Amino acid sequence: MKDNKGAGLKHFLNKESTAGVVFSLPFIIGFLLFMVVPMGISFYYSLCDYNILSPPVFAGLKNYIKMFTDDKVFSQTIGVTFYFALVSVPLRLIFALMVAMLLLNTTKATGFYRAAYYLPSIIGGSVAVAILWKRMFATDGVVNHLLGIMGIQTSFAWLGNKNTAIWTLIILAVWQFGSSMLIFLSSLKQIPVTLYEAARVDGANKFSQFFKITLPLLTPTIFFNLVMQMINGFLAFTQCFIITQGKPLNSTLFYTVYMYQQSFEFYNTGYGAALAWVMLGIIGLITAILFATKKFWVYTEGV
Amino acid sequence: MKKRIALLMAAAMAAASLAGCGGGTSTTADTTAGSAAEDTTAASSGNAGGDTKLTMSWWGNQVRNEKTQAALDLYAEQNPGITIEGQFSEWSDYWNKLATSAAGQAIPDLVQMDYSFIDQYVKNGLLVDLKPYIEDGTLDVSNISENTIASGTVNDGVYAICAGINAPSLLYNKTLLEENGIQIKDYMTTDEFMDVCRQVYEKTGYKTNIAYYNAGAYLDYFMRGYDVVLYGDKKMGGTVNDYLPFFQMYETGIKEGWFIDPGVFAELSIGSVEQEPLVYGSGPETMSWCAFYNSNQLTAIQKAAPEGMEIGITTWPSADPKKSGYLKSSMFFSVGAHTKNPEEAVKVLNFLTNSSEANNILLGERGVPASSVISEELAPKMSDVDQEVIRYINEVVTPNCSPINPPQPDGASEVSNLLNQVQEQLCYGAYDAATAAEEFFNGANNIMNKK
Repeated sequence: MKDNKGAGLKHFLNKESTAGVVFSLPFIIGFLLFMVVPMGISFYYSLCDYNILSPPVFAGLKNYIKMFTDDKVFSQTIGVTFYFALVSVPLRLIFALMVAMLLLNTTKATGFYRAAYYLPSIIGGSVAVAILWKRMFATDGVVNHLLGIMGIQTSFAWLGNKNTAIWTLIILAVWQFGSSMLIFLSSLKQIPVTLYEAARVDGANKFSQFFKITLPLLTPTIFFNLVMQMINGFLAFTQCFIITQGKPLNSTLFYTVYMYQQSFEFYNTGYGAALAWVMLGIIGLITAILFATKKFWVYTEGV
Repeated sequence: MKKRIALLMAAAMAAASLAGCGGGTSTTADTTAGSAAEDTTAASSGNAGGDTKLTMSWWGNQVRNEKTQAALDLYAEQNPGITIEGQFSEWSDYWNKLATSAAGQAIPDLVQMDYSFIDQYVKNGLLVDLKPYIEDGTLDVSNISENTIASGTVNDGVYAICAGINAPSLLYNKTLLEENGIQIKDYMTTDEFMDVCRQVYEKTGYKTNIAYYNAGAYLDYFMRGYDVVLYGDKKMGGTVNDYLPFFQMYETGIKEGWFIDPGVFAELSIGSVEQEPLVYGSGPETMSWCAFYNSNQLTAIQKAAPEGMEIGITTWPSADPKKSGYLKSSMFFSVGAHTKNPEEAVKVLNFLTNSSEANNILLGERGVPASSVISEELAPKMSDVDQEVIRYINEVVTPNCSPINPPQPDGASEVSNLLNQVQEQLCYGAYDAATAAEEFFNGANNIMNKK
C-alpha cells in the first residue's frame, strides 16, 4: 500500500504536466498576486467613494454616471488621447517601415545603424528623455536655435501654445519607432527573393514591387504592430506627465494622467479606478474593431 | 536533457518577468508591491540587532534637504544604534506619496505636515497623539507659546509640533527696482501693486507673475481683504461678484502687457523655487520682478538667484493687506501612526525642536523656530537673509495680523486645481474676468457641495 502511494507520487512528480505547472508557478503566482488581485480590488474601488485615507464606501455606479454626465474634462481627455494615438501610431509605423526598408541592405555598418535606431525605443519612455525633450522645445532650446541657424529667428513657445504642444509629444512618440522597425525588418527578410526576381522579369519597377509584393506580404506584421502600438498609444503617460502636465488648457492632458490626477492629487481614488475601467473597455473595443477589419486587408495565405 | 534545459530556461524567464512586474506595479496590495511603499517599509521594519532605523519625510527645496539631512545625521551620530533616513520630494509629489504609503500602512515615522492636511490625517488615525509624550517629558514644549501649540491641536490631542513660523510674503528683485528708482512699500494695495507692475514693465521690460497656476493661498489671502472667508461649509464664501476683482487683476495685466506670458510656465516646474521666473529665465520677457511665497522661502530663493540679485521681502497685495495678513505655522512635524518606535521618533522630534545644535544647522529655514529660547539664541548666528525674515515677521506682519482661516476642508485641492484652470483660460485670453469669476465660483461650489 505504502509502496503504491510512493510510486503514485513519483509518477505524479515525473509527469510532464506537473513539471510544467511547477516551473510556471512563479509566473502564475505573480500574475494572480500582482495583476488579478489588484484588478479585482480596483474594480471594487470603482464602485465606491474612496479617498485613499479613509476606507471605501460602496456607492454603486455613481462614479460611472458622473463621468458621462458631469465631467467636462473627461470628454476633453478622451479627445486628446484619441488624437494622440490615431496620429502618432500610423506615423510611427510609416517611419518604422521606411527605416526598415533602408536597413534591409546589408553592409558593414548595418548592425551599428540598427542598434542606433533601436536605441530611442529603449530610452524614449524614460524620465530623462522626457526632461531632455522639454528643454529641446523650450523658447531658448535647441529647436529654436536650429531654426535660428536656418534663418528663422524665433522664440516661439512650442510647449506653451495649445496647437503645438501636443505635437511635441507626438514627435517624441514617433521617434520611438525602434521595436516596430525590428519586427518589420525580420518579416521583410522573410519575403522570398524569387517573388522580386519574377516581378523584375515581368518588368515591374521598384514602386510597383513595393505595393504589389512587399506591402501585401507585410500586412500581418502591420496588423500586429498596429494593435500593439495602438494599445501603447492609449496608455501613454510619462511624456505627458513630465513634459506638459496637460498644459496648456488641457490640450495635452492624456487620459492616463487625468486618471492619476483624480486618484492621487484630488484623492478621488474611486473615480480614478472607474476611469481606468472605462479605458480598459475603450481599448478592448478598439482592438475588437481592428480584429473585425482584419479579413478585409490582412493577407493570410501561406507564402 | 534538452527538454530539461528548456524547462529551466522557461522557469528562469518566468521568474525574471515576475521580478520585473513586482518592481514596476505600484498597486494597493498590502505586501510591499508599491515601489513607493517599499523604501518606507523596508526602513521602518529593519530593527534587528538593536539597530533602530527611522524614516522622516518632508517636502522642500535643495537648501532644506541638505540642512535637514545634516541635522538627522548629527542625531544619529550622538545616538549610536539609530539611523534616520530622509525622504524628500517636492510639494505636489509629497502628498501623493504620503497618501499612498498611508494606505499601505507604512507612513514614515516622522512626517512633515501641513496645516491644510492635518484634519484629514488625524481623522483617519494616521498621526500619533503627542500629549502623553509631552506629559512624561519626552517632548519638551515649555518654550513654545500656547497659540503655537494650539495650531497643531485637533480634538484635544496634540498631533503636530510647529516647525517654524512664517507669513505670506512677496519676494522681489530688489536690485532691479533700486537701479530703476522704483519704490516698494509694505502693505501695498492691489492698485498700488499694479502701478508698480506697470512701472517695472515700462522701465525694464520685466514682467509680473501673480502666483500663476498656484494661486490657492493667494486667493484665500486676497478674499480676506474683502472680509470673505474662502471656504464655507460645503460651499464657497461670498458671492460671485466678490471674486471678480481677483480675476480683473489678471485681465488688466494681460491687456496692458505686464503680466508674464503663460506659455513660459509650460517649460517650468511650477512651485519649484529653483525654476521660479523671479530667479530663472533667459531675459526680462520670460522673467518676473516678483514672486508670491512664504517668508521662510526667502533663503532658498536668495540662494537660487543669480549672482548680484538681491531679493527683497514685503506683504502680498490685497484690497486691505492689514486685514489680509496672518502668521502661520509654515509646516509641522508629526509622528506617523504606523511607527514601531514612537518613543524614538518623539525623541528626534524633540531634538529638532529644542536642540541648539540641531537648530544651528537648520537655521530657521522652515520659518522662525517655535521655541522662543531657540529663536533668541539663533538670531545673532543667522545670516543677513534669515535676520531679514525675522525682522519681517516681527516688525511688519505681527503688529497687523489676524488669525488664520480654519484648515482647508476636503475638496480644497480640487478647487485649487479648478482655480488654476480658470486662471489659465483667462491668461490665454479664452475667458474675460466676468466669465472666469463665474466659472470658478459655480465650479467650486459644485465640487464643495458634493463633499
